[in-house]
Amino acid sequence: MEAGEAKSKKAGGSRLCCICNQRRPVLKRPKTLQQICRECFYEVFEEEIHQVIVGNRLFKSGERVAIGASGGKDSTVLAYVLSELNRRHNYGLDLFLLSIDEGITGYRDDSLETVKRNEVQYGLPLQIVSYKDLYGWTMDEIVKMIGLKNNCTFCGVFRRQALDRGAALLKVDKLVTGHNADDIAETVLLNILRGDIARLSRCTSITTGEDGPIPRCKPFKYTYEKEIVMYAYFKKLDYFSTECIYSPNAYRGFAREFIKDLERLRPRAILDIIKSGEDFRIATTTKMPEQGTCERCGYISSQKWCKACVLLEGLNRGLPKMGIGRPRGSGNDQKDTKARSTAKSIESKQCGSLEF
Amino acid sequence: MACNSSGCESGCYDREKDDGSKISVEDAVAGGGNQESVCVKCKCNEPMTFGDGGSDDGRFCAECFRNNVFGKFRLAVTSHAMITPSDNVLVAFSGGSSSRVALQFVHELQIKALKNYEASRDRSLPVFGVGVAFVDETAAFPALSTEMVDAIEWVRSTVSSLSPPAKDLHVVPVESVFGSDSLDARDRLVKLLDSVPDDTGKEDLLLHLKMLTLQKIASENGYNRLVVGSCTSRIASHVLSATVKGRGYSLSADIQHVDARWKVPIVLPLRDCVRLEITRLCLLDGLKTVELACRSQCGINDLVSSFVALLQEENPSRECTIVRTAAKLTPFYFNKIPETDDSNVPMATQRRLKRFNIKYDGSMTTEAFCPICNGPLNRSDSSGLDTFEECLESDVLYAACCSSCRFQILPEDGSSLEQFSSYLPDHMISQVKHQKVNSQAYLREKIKDCLLLDDEEVV
Amino acid sequence: MQFTLEFGGGLELLCDSVKIHKVNINLLNDSDILTMKDLLSWVRTNLIKERPEMFMKGDTVRPGVLVLVNDCDWELSGQLDTTLEDKDVIVFISTLHGG
Repeated sequence: MEAGEAKSKKAGGSRLCCICNQRRPVLKRPKTLQQICRECFYEVFEEEIHQVIVGNRLFKSGERVAIGASGGKDSTVLAYVLSELNRRHNYGLDLFLLSIDEGITGYRDDSLETVKRNEVQYGLPLQIVSYKDLYGWTMDEIVKMIGLKNNCTFCGVFRRQALDRGAALLKVDKLVTGHNADDIAETVLLNILRGDIARLSRCTSITTGEDGPIPRCKPFKYTYEKEIVMYAYFKKLDYFSTECIYSPNAYRGFAREFIKDLERLRPRAILDIIKSGEDFRIATTTKMPEQGTCERCGYISSQKWCKACVLLEGLNRGLPKMGIGRPRGSGNDQKDTKARSTAKSIESKQCGSLEF
Repeated sequence: MACNSSGCESGCYDREKDDGSKISVEDAVAGGGNQESVCVKCKCNEPMTFGDGGSDDGRFCAECFRNNVFGKFRLAVTSHAMITPSDNVLVAFSGGSSSRVALQFVHELQIKALKNYEASRDRSLPVFGVGVAFVDETAAFPALSTEMVDAIEWVRSTVSSLSPPAKDLHVVPVESVFGSDSLDARDRLVKLLDSVPDDTGKEDLLLHLKMLTLQKIASENGYNRLVVGSCTSRIASHVLSATVKGRGYSLSADIQHVDARWKVPIVLPLRDCVRLEITRLCLLDGLKTVELACRSQCGINDLVSSFVALLQEENPSRECTIVRTAAKLTPFYFNKIPETDDSNVPMATQRRLKRFNIKYDGSMTTEAFCPICNGPLNRSDSSGLDTFEECLESDVLYAACCSSCRFQILPEDGSSLEQFSSYLPDHMISQVKHQKVNSQAYLREKIKDCLLLDDEEVV
Repeated sequence: MQFTLEFGGGLELLCDSVKIHKVNINLLNDSDILTMKDLLSWVRTNLIKERPEMFMKGDTVRPGVLVLVNDCDWELSGQLDTTLEDKDVIVFISTLHGG
């Protein structure tokens, strides 16, 4: 027996790819448990995303679309696949890469290098928006001021606005982010655990913020994280991975751990959680609050000042606690806020990224 | 609602002392650590220390603690009209701590009612009846038969000690839903369970069969209420496991105080009590319980329980928050005791029911239900039952079930599905047929304006 | 036996930030069969310099860590029971990172 043959016998067993029945399988899809070869995997992966885009009418021809690019696996694969599908199926989209520089040394500066490489590799123009330019503060400076408690709150609020502002600068019609099925399933669980019924009703929507400045959509809503990683690996896509140095337990999250254990037991559970999230009977009155504009900066806000301005005011005045936690209302909210800030282990991998 | 912080004494984490400063964990556990340890509620008696490491240990005296737990039970019963004087109530008893407390509290309620009855001059209000049901699962777990025999003995003596008033005890094997011939029934049960490929599905199917058994006992013996002792903690686990199994639509039906989609409405009077309180109460009152090995979980259900336990360690009020969130989901029209014009029901109760039911917007949308789990079906889910004409019973079964049961309970291939269908208890099969008829009626209703003739058949 | 081990997706941080390791593993027992199970415990002992719980949970890799043996998902070759041969390339990628 040839060494190569022996290896393939061991590696793929004596089976062939479920779909083409010709090549040896390299992957077992968590979604369908099918054993498929590399080429068929690329096909089904890309085709499924195309169906999600078309079936949910995510884009219109001629739209300017910014891809939230962090240099990580999700946004890199998103940029690659979206530009490929745009070409292949003639979506007619004007695609851009949009990156946020929070000003975290050793983390963001490295990942930004990756995005700059992506700009060249995929031929997509890149726009970088920095916290420093927008707010006058880098995350490094903020952490120096307020320490490691609540820094994720700042970053999350700022990032959200920064994406919108960057998108406005680029004059884009839509933002796409790389949130995948695992992310959304995790968000559903976290919102249940935190008692946030309003967010729970919104977090499974594939498009959000249509009544806001820039609508955002998540083409990877039904795409498994494992498949994104496999895709990136086999296609040898360039991405950067490390944990944010300021999030203490970001790498470890109870909800994430639970989801991974669940996936091992029953892979379709991730999609089932998303389905549950979509099916929850939540009265429409619990959805979006009244939208006005911030007096200070003009950004969309349901209060007099937008969250970012409130936080900034606190920073500039040396009152870092300002804007942290919800205003005094029912005792329930207070309890939740305390539980949220003390329960760091509930936080998940990308701080703030779950605040859709 | 499970836990509103102002009156919450169920062990939620963020407790404030009366002077507004936050209580520390050490204070609680050491039974005060203050100079004078008094119950924070009545301020006279010595506080109880359970030493179980749970929250709020050493803050309340035995009496206040007990009153608090019983108070929550009684509030649930009265505000949801769970038990009224003319009712005949069956308490589902598993031997575990929650159902033991439920049984105890119902018994005490009955004693009080009896006292009032005997003291009243006109004896106008009758005393509600109480029976106890224990479902014997030996057929599903043959290895545990000796343990089960002992458990049943213990159940008998426990129930008989709870008189006067004396309560009927119904010990019924779970296979009785298949028929009266016990050997044949047991055989069908085993075959049915064996044909389910998924472990979690098997476990859940057994739970559904247990509920069918309880319903059977209740309706055959003239009971009109079924008391189930599910506590906040159990419901929190159910919220997560339902979410994880794709049962988000039907979740709100399962977690309310009242579930009247069954022939005999189910009521959950301990829904607002956490397990910690219940186990402490059992300790306090010397209520014995028995933990059967068949109660241990596997698969998804076990994973969820461990996850909730982990969350509880990190934050003892987590299960309350989970149930509170789920309680904000819109319930169904059947999540309330149905109004009645029955003259046997006291006017006060009828009025209370009417008042309470106004909260529900009265949308009497008839739901279709999954024949296996009895979960309300999301219309958008149904896989076109109406497209089936003459087809196999198993095809109809497949189309009638919710997507979760389809995946985890129904066998995959056609012939196994047929066999499975043949083993199902008759009640579930009749549900399938009932649903098919309903669905045709529903379809007909939708297109009747287009029908030329009144008696035109729906194709 | 000689192996090339690659760590990605952040796992390299657990091995002194070295992504590729060329290792030589001598079998302690007489049998000339080395399974992934054996390899994993060897890696945990010899290569993982910090936070082993990020790499392994019990006998197997932490959920969320993908394993490829010669560019092939180890789910196809029997996971822990996969038998290894000389010059095999084993890749560990963690999926648990922001993107």
